[in-house]
Amino acid sequence: MSAATVGPTPAPSPTPTSAPTSAPAAPRRQPRPQVRAGSTAEAWSLVSTWFALLAVVCLWLVVQLPFLSVLSHNRAQALLYPQLRTDLASATAPTGGVITPGTPVSLLTIPTIGLRQVVVEGTTGTVLRAGPGHLASTVLPGQSGISVVMGRASTYGAPFGSITKLHPGDEAVVQMSQGRVVYRVQDVRHAGDPVPAAVTGAQSRLTLVTAEGSGALAWLRPTTAVYVDAVATKGFQPGGGQPASVDAGQLPMGTDSSALPVLALCLALLLGAAYVVTVAWHRFSHALVWVVASPVVLTLAWFTTDTTARLLPNLM
Amino acid sequence: MRRLPAALSAFFLAAFALVPALAPGTAGAAQAAGSDAWSATHHLTRDLVDASGTTTTADSRDVTVSVDKHTDLQARERINVSWSGAHPSGGRAANPFGVDGLNQEYPVLLMECRGLDDPSLPADQQLSPSTCWTNTWNERTEKADATQAPWRHDKYADPADTGALSGVSSLPADCTDTTLSVHITPFVSAAGKTFSGCSETTMPPEAAVGSADPPNEISAFTDGNGNGSAAFEVRTDAENESLGCSHTVACSLVVVPIEGISCADADTACNKTGAFDPGSNNFGNLLTPDLAVSPYLWWSPSNWRNRFSVPLEFALPPSTCQLLGSGTPVTFYGSALMRQATLQWAPAYCLDKKRFNWQANTMPDDAAFALMASGGADAALVTGPRKPDDKTVKVGFAPTAVSGFGIAFDIDKPDNGGQEDSLELNARLLAKLLTMSYPASSLGQQRPGLATNPISLNLDPEFQQLNPGLDAVHSSEAASTLLSLSTSSDVIKAITSYIEADPDAKAFMKGKADPWGMTVNPAYKNLKLPVSTWPILDTFVPSTPGQACLANNPAPYLPKVAAPVSSFQQISTAMILSWPNVNTVCDTDTNTGLYKLGRIPPQGVGSRFMLGLVTLGDAARYGLPVASLQAAPGSYVAPDTAGLSAAVALAQQTGGKQGAFSLDQARVRKSRTAYPGMLVVSTAARTSGMDKDAAKRVAQFIDISTTQGQVPGRGNGQLPQGYLPITKKGVTAKLYAADQRTKAAVLAQKAPAVAKPKVAEPAAAPAPAAAAPASAPASAPAAPKAVTPKASQPVTAKTQLVARTAPTRSGTGGMLLPGLLFLGLVGGLVAALTRFLGRAAASGGRS
Repeated sequence: MSAATVGPTPAPSPTPTSAPTSAPAAPRRQPRPQVRAGSTAEAWSLVSTWFALLAVVCLWLVVQLPFLSVLSHNRAQALLYPQLRTDLASATAPTGGVITPGTPVSLLTIPTIGLRQVVVEGTTGTVLRAGPGHLASTVLPGQSGISVVMGRASTYGAPFGSITKLHPGDEAVVQMSQGRVVYRVQDVRHAGDPVPAAVTGAQSRLTLVTAEGSGALAWLRPTTAVYVDAVATKGFQPGGGQPASVDAGQLPMGTDSSALPVLALCLALLLGAAYVVTVAWHRFSHALVWVVASPVVLTLAWFTTDTTARLLPNLM
Repeated sequence: MRRLPAALSAFFLAAFALVPALAPGTAGAAQAAGSDAWSATHHLTRDLVDASGTTTTADSRDVTVSVDKHTDLQARERINVSWSGAHPSGGRAANPFGVDGLNQEYPVLLMECRGLDDPSLPADQQLSPSTCWTNTWNERTEKADATQAPWRHDKYADPADTGALSGVSSLPADCTDTTLSVHITPFVSAAGKTFSGCSETTMPPEAAVGSADPPNEISAFTDGNGNGSAAFEVRTDAENESLGCSHTVACSLVVVPIEGISCADADTACNKTGAFDPGSNNFGNLLTPDLAVSPYLWWSPSNWRNRFSVPLEFALPPSTCQLLGSGTPVTFYGSALMRQATLQWAPAYCLDKKRFNWQANTMPDDAAFALMASGGADAALVTGPRKPDDKTVKVGFAPTAVSGFGIAFDIDKPDNGGQEDSLELNARLLAKLLTMSYPASSLGQQRPGLATNPISLNLDPEFQQLNPGLDAVHSSEAASTLLSLSTSSDVIKAITSYIEADPDAKAFMKGKADPWGMTVNPAYKNLKLPVSTWPILDTFVPSTPGQACLANNPAPYLPKVAAPVSSFQQISTAMILSWPNVNTVCDTDTNTGLYKLGRIPPQGVGSRFMLGLVTLGDAARYGLPVASLQAAPGSYVAPDTAGLSAAVALAQQTGGKQGAFSLDQARVRKSRTAYPGMLVVSTAARTSGMDKDAAKRVAQFIDISTTQGQVPGRGNGQLPQGYLPITKKGVTAKLYAADQRTKAAVLAQKAPAVAKPKVAEPAAAPAPAAAAPASAPASAPAAPKAVTPKASQPVTAKTQLVARTAPTRSGTGGMLLPGLLFLGLVGGLVAALTRFLGRAAASGGRS
């Protein structure tokens, strides 16, 4: 990761600029041992700075992905909920066909684990940041047939983090454009378990997909896809017209490589910000640089991490 | 006069049984169709009356009609009908089907009618013009001025039918031309509803404008010697409910040689004898034929009395097993070569309570084999030797059918010479077709490397040398490609192995020019063969100045010409309808202003030229002629019984005593008699770890398919044409012996140790049986007894037969966050440590 320039840390100085230009600012500095170019002390300082940067970048990701991202997930849900309400009230919520990714399609409530999430269309890592996503090639949740909904297990609010704790018989309620369907959980299904028989007639099956880990720190290590099947005796008439298949990025553990260009842009901006901060550090008062640069760099770092998350497996 | 003595009929029947070559379907690999052929001869006359009132018999002839089969017919099966002694036709239409064929003179009309031509039957089981199917109202209603209405002067007509209105008692509401003479032949549907047929609004629904099926009635052309032939496609109630032919409702193929109206008086229109010379064309409908000798008046007593009625008997429909079958269906997946055999075999299983309910579905051979090896299916139907990925699984192969692929062709000889019935092709010509090396048109000639190649196959000197006498002037896009398969198949592997084994074709693929200077399309140069899926490699987009539609819709051109499809069924249908799958027609939608590329129209009879890769079973069923392929240099072998037998003799078993048989193309190249496209389809089944019920089913299938299933015939359970029977003696003896060994091995295997619940195959499992056999005790009482197992044992019991949730893992997902956390912590520690050391060093350096 070349984003090793996060924060207002002075860039390592391969150029000889640091010594002369630092002279005017010197009086304001804390008394600190002076580092001379070429000395052993400079080498130690360089190594120290590099590792500090590494630590900052890694820990930032560890803090943002599982914890801070809850904020963006909650905000997305807070916006999606009224949008879905409006769509349901005005009967414009989708019933089938090709739906724009990110459109809210239904509200999923599982009282036993306190889950209430707006399900959106699409299952790319990008879409799943907002909430559980409906696999586009299946019928909508609540319709007859098999519907697949995927959700993140440990990042972005971990909406499906606890669905593996569901027991047979638990209720899952779906409110969608055609009405309300109550599903009963059949069981949690891990790799190697038998696939349930095909649904018949107007039966509807809702398969929730997320990831789980094992061993120590299991909640931080979503490794394998896990499934929860729930059935309802009667679903609504499917609207049809959904695509026959989806690309690999929308399948469980798929990654959305379309984020790469945006990521490159973000990193370039971060690099630019680091350069500007370095220059400003020697020109202006340090307090001023802190006040001005912190929000900009934080925003960029946040956005960069958000973009990086699109490149990671979608069920994380 | 209707029927000649039985002895004469028998003579003709025997005569035609001895001449199977009459039928263009040279793929009739297996057996002479003697028992199922039908033939009859009628004496036809036409009486004319001259101005003085003298009646003369203007024309008198003996017409013989024969068909190659008429019982156990499958839907859309094509019957080869041939005739001799008929009046030569004139004014040939490009398309002889339905309304397009009406503007001809003296054709032979073929149509499908409900009922039999037997006066002893009740009236509703007899055929009449009103039970005969036509696709348009023009064939049912004739309107003309009184001076132009020859049917009113028909010598054989009931006097009541010579009035201004005939056929119906009163004019239907949609008939408006009350001043004209009108004859209407209403259509009575199988359900008893009468359609007056005076306009498109009063026709049965299957005859709606733009209906799914094109017409199947043919006004076929008779050559100057009075001979002709046509392939008639029969339809069942699945395709045409109004006509309603099925295995319970008898129908007939009615052949009406249009001889002309025999006149009762000297009416000018009635006494006309034709405006066209025999053999002439009327492709542009420039001239109007004389009504008295045209097929418009097929229903008139003068023509209708000359009819030949061939009774048709239909086989059980494919839905039989779904409707009447007993037991859970057990599906074998695999080779498309089995499709025609499956149609006849499946009812013999599902209707017999002693047998399991066998079904077969087409799937790429590799996928079918993997499914079987992993326990997803009892057995797979595959053509080549292969090994399971899992080394612990043992698989035996039992040869089930000997068939193969063929290059079907729809080619007309120039100048209305009729359809070509034999063609010779070699590996290099196939390579040229598959590699898109013919530029197809001036657009393809823009492609670098193709500019000097012949535009299409028929202009290639190599092809002309092998097949003289065909159209060597006109190029066409359809003639520059071979309609092939886009999906993975052992057939593609076989045809590419054939190309690979031929030194000339191999050199051509490597870029060496053929003796006439033609070179391979550079996109395919050095392509490594054989392959299971033929790749589409050419991406050249031609420039099309002045053609707005194409210029706005740029697309690689040659792949649009080749346009491979996903199943052999689609190729056969395209061949039946002479409709090349060349998708190069650019249309502009006037409403939206958008452009789209579409398929070219069907080819007109008389100027057809297209080739398709088909299975020999399909070719025999649908009467498609199949090309001879080169075996040893200079020896061209047809896919008939002799060619297949010689190829089977060369086939070798690989992989031990229960291995599969395959054909080494290097050996074919040394033979003068072996057909290179022969393939042996084997039933592949596990010989270890299969449970007892499944093993018994597979053994039963091997047993039945090698005995009853190898009896040639058209009945249920029998082997259709296009397959070579596997017998205890003769060239196929080694296959039969392998069958017995594999059957014994399948039966001898031990079932998995633990008694397992009776769980059927995933696709067919009834809902309650397979649902959640895991830890839900609540569901147990509802399920069959076997689902209440002993504690946790069954989880390991049936690892092979139930569909399992496949593992989806992501190493990134599992290791990313812990890794970052670890790196972060280590980085922080090292940074703190080095900072401390740095300070120490700095202060040390200062002091």
